[in-house]
Amino acid sequence: MGTYDITLNIHRYDPEEKKSRVQTYRLKAGGITRFVDLFRKINDEDDPTLTWSSSCEHGQCGACSVKINGKPLLACELLVENAVDLFKTTTFDVEPLDNVAPVVRDLVIDMEKAYERVHKVKPFIINPKPPPAGGKEHQISPKLMERYLEATRCINCFCCTSACISSTRKFLGPNAMLAAIVRAMDPRELEKQERLSCLFSEHGVYRCHSSFACSFVCPKQIDVAHFIALAKAGALQEE
Amino acid sequence: MKPDLKVTETMNCDALIIGAGGAGMRVAAEILERKPDAKIIALTKVSHPQKSHTSTAQGGLAAVDPSDPNDALAFHMFDTWKGSDCMADQNVVKKICESAWDQILWLENRGMHFSRDQYGSLSKRTFGGHTRNFGEVSAFRAVFEADRTGKGIMDTTWGECLKQNITFISQCVAVELLIRDDRCFGCIVFSQKTGTFLRILAKATVIASGGSGQVFNVTTNCRQNTGDGLALVMDAGLPVMDPEAVQFHPTGIVGPGILASETLRSVGGILRNKDNEPFMVKYAPKMKELAPRDLVARAIESEIREGRGILHPDHNIEHVWIDLRHLSKEVHEKQIPEVNSFFMHYLNLDPRTELCPVRPSNHYHMGGIPTNEFGEVEDGGRQVIEGLYAVGECAAASFHGFNRLATNSLLELITMGKFVGDRIAERIDAEPNSVKNINGEVYKKKFEDYFEARGENNTGRIRNSLRSTMTQKVGVFRSEKDISEAIETILDLKAQAEQAALNGQSLVMNQELMSRWELDNLLTISIAISEAAMHRKESRGAHFRDDYPNRSEEFNYHTILSMPQFGQIEIGWREVDMSIFRGGEVNYEKFDIIERKY
Ligand SMILES: Cc1cc2nc3c(=O)[nH]c(=O)nc-3n(C[C@H](O)[C@H](O)[C@H](O)COP(=O)(O)OP(=O)(O)OC[C@H]3O[C@@H](n4cnc5c(N)ncnc54)[C@H](O)[C@@H]3O)c2cc1C
Ligand code: SF4
Ligand code: SF4
Ligand code: FES
Repeated sequence: MGTYDITLNIHRYDPEEKKSRVQTYRLKAGGITRFVDLFRKINDEDDPTLTWSSSCEHGQCGACSVKINGKPLLACELLVENAVDLFKTTTFDVEPLDNVAPVVRDLVIDMEKAYERVHKVKPFIINPKPPPAGGKEHQISPKLMERYLEATRCINCFCCTSACISSTRKFLGPNAMLAAIVRAMDPRELEKQERLSCLFSEHGVYRCHSSFACSFVCPKQIDVAHFIALAKAGALQEE
Repeated sequence: MKPDLKVTETMNCDALIIGAGGAGMRVAAEILERKPDAKIIALTKVSHPQKSHTSTAQGGLAAVDPSDPNDALAFHMFDTWKGSDCMADQNVVKKICESAWDQILWLENRGMHFSRDQYGSLSKRTFGGHTRNFGEVSAFRAVFEADRTGKGIMDTTWGECLKQNITFISQCVAVELLIRDDRCFGCIVFSQKTGTFLRILAKATVIASGGSGQVFNVTTNCRQNTGDGLALVMDAGLPVMDPEAVQFHPTGIVGPGILASETLRSVGGILRNKDNEPFMVKYAPKMKELAPRDLVARAIESEIREGRGILHPDHNIEHVWIDLRHLSKEVHEKQIPEVNSFFMHYLNLDPRTELCPVRPSNHYHMGGIPTNEFGEVEDGGRQVIEGLYAVGECAAASFHGFNRLATNSLLELITMGKFVGDRIAERIDAEPNSVKNINGEVYKKKFEDYFEARGENNTGRIRNSLRSTMTQKVGVFRSEKDISEAIETILDLKAQAEQAALNGQSLVMNQELMSRWELDNLLTISIAISEAAMHRKESRGAHFRDDYPNRSEEFNYHTILSMPQFGQIEIGWREVDMSIFRGGEVNYEKFDIIERKY
């Protein structure tokens, strides 16, 4: 465990003055405190105006993504001692996610704007297959589900989109692609044509350069690039 | 340079949903399926509906599959009644259990990725308190989506709303209900992102604002669960029901408060105190670690109270250990990999070789806004407030009474959500012109006071004191002495809060302002919980009084508590519905006042 003297250089933004600046906070913290705990400590002991985002605080909702020393990650999952280990320093640059949506204040980005990317791919079943007669569930073999189940674990934290160089341009981003791919592979979706035209549109998978940055940063360890590669190869449907 | 607190925009809609979690989204989806042209506005305090607390529920949701020859509706109803310690309303229990499987199909047919068995049908697993044959053997009754059932429900209900053209306003809070003459016409909303106040007028207003876990300093609940909905109705002069009914999970992981599942104990984990002593044998000589949730929670709490806990240096929280070191490699890898990963991830501990810190953690609020079986909000005299509905964890119909069974909460969201949706769809037709032009009266004064306060006090620190007071004095153990001390502290903290000056005067995304407003809600709910806990001189379900350790027939009623002014409490009561028992049909005698023994 042990205690660390931590320096946080936090990138702040004031929406009224439209001004950005970096503010340095120094604090003592136990090894297993998380970055969200550090932000809270700053609020309680030093500066209540520092603004940051979180919800579940255990890696399940994707509300707390920030960039620390350049790496997009979940602030609720990063322990101080692990951060020290990972970045070999006790000084951390903390920024809001970039490439995704405008900053509202300090570390908070406009999630509603970010989600517009996901909404575009229609993250639901467009045309559901009629359920079997007699009020029953659809039978889906575990083997078939296995092909796309990983992709359903995405929590839309947008870490991948932030890391993806293509997402600044027209590309909707890796997590939006995942949402579309899930339904393209889901046997309950009958509207495959619209799915595929979306995936292969000018905002779709052909914008991806297979850099694997998305898979590398995903806090849920989803191999995002694998699914995008499947789509590119036209291998979403079961053989 | 005073901030402008005037309403800058008025919006009209058919239905206003305060809270876009699983419950709120299920209501909206139902209305939209029945009336695709309905105009619905859904609010959420988090940055996007998907970030709501519902997304974090893991285990599953209970529902009797009509094609299962081993299970029966009567068993599920009995388990719920028994678990509630005879405080659930039987009309509600019956209605929810009977519609459960249809609602599972609703979710499945709309794309929820339920886990399947080898034949491709829905898999089922068992949870504590769910039995067959009225308590004889465990029932396999919970369907699930791996360890992310709540996420499946959230994604599906939210997706359906998105598909049907709903208007979402995220990162905003409802700050005042617009109620006149026992009718609700909408609410005043503060949008954090734009720093503006809106007035939303609606034919129907649904409170679906979720739990209140942040009242306690160790909780499995998310950061936004400050019980706003309960405070909103109390501020409007309406009552809450059974606020003292708060569930604690015995093993929250120290620090984040993450749930360490019951499985740890069922596979042989041993609880130890600071002297390494396996203490459960003192409290439950036969069952030991396998005793029911509330008993284990009390045992751990006793150890801590009597000085045999350990103080966690990083989190400054007392705990005991759970010892998993002796379990086989097989058990670690196959049966508890997820919980293990929480310990590794959040504490950098390896449960195979190290002791892991746990303590009781606030988990669920059974009490809430009183409603009837249609989710219509009622006043203390059981009169319906027209146009106002409550559903989900913030509401009390009551399906859970004084103790919620695992997997029954998610079930409540989707069933009651549907019933409320049905009701509202009818109302929209019946009352085409029910919108009335009324203004907010109290929100402005409240926010003015926040900006005008002068003093050194810090909102965050007051909130921390409140939360530790509630954990220590009105938590797992309660007594007259502790509760009265808590009430005194709460009143004092309320006064301190009034002297807490804000550091920033902006309205735009002012986190301190939000936290100041939330603090008022936390104080309101804390006092409601404490006063009701004081009033209930008995122990029942999750409510345990040191000084009255037994259940007492005298208290076979719901507490109805209102607070015309802060600290001024009025307590009434509501009868527990026992219509299944009174109906006299087959097995009716199981639904009498029975013992809660497992
Ligand atoms: C760790 C954990 C695991 C659980 N596992 C299970 C399980 O396996 N099975 C089960 O049945 N139950 C489980 N539960 C309980 C269950 O998850 C919750 O009771 C349920 O999700 C609550 O849903 P809800 O829709 O009522 O509220 P929430 O999902 O909390 O949604 C509330 C919504 O209201 C919004 N809101 C709040 N205040 C305001 C305001 N003032 N203005 C506007 N919007 C507001 C919030 O932002 C949010 O969108 C679990 C709970 C926890 C903590
Ligand atoms: S693999 Fe494709 S989608 Fe993933 S980060 Fe690289 S370019 Fe972006
Ligand atoms: S794919 Fe991974 S990194 Fe990308 S949004 Fe989903 S969870 Fe986050
Ligand atoms: S706060 Fe939910 S993932 Fe970090």
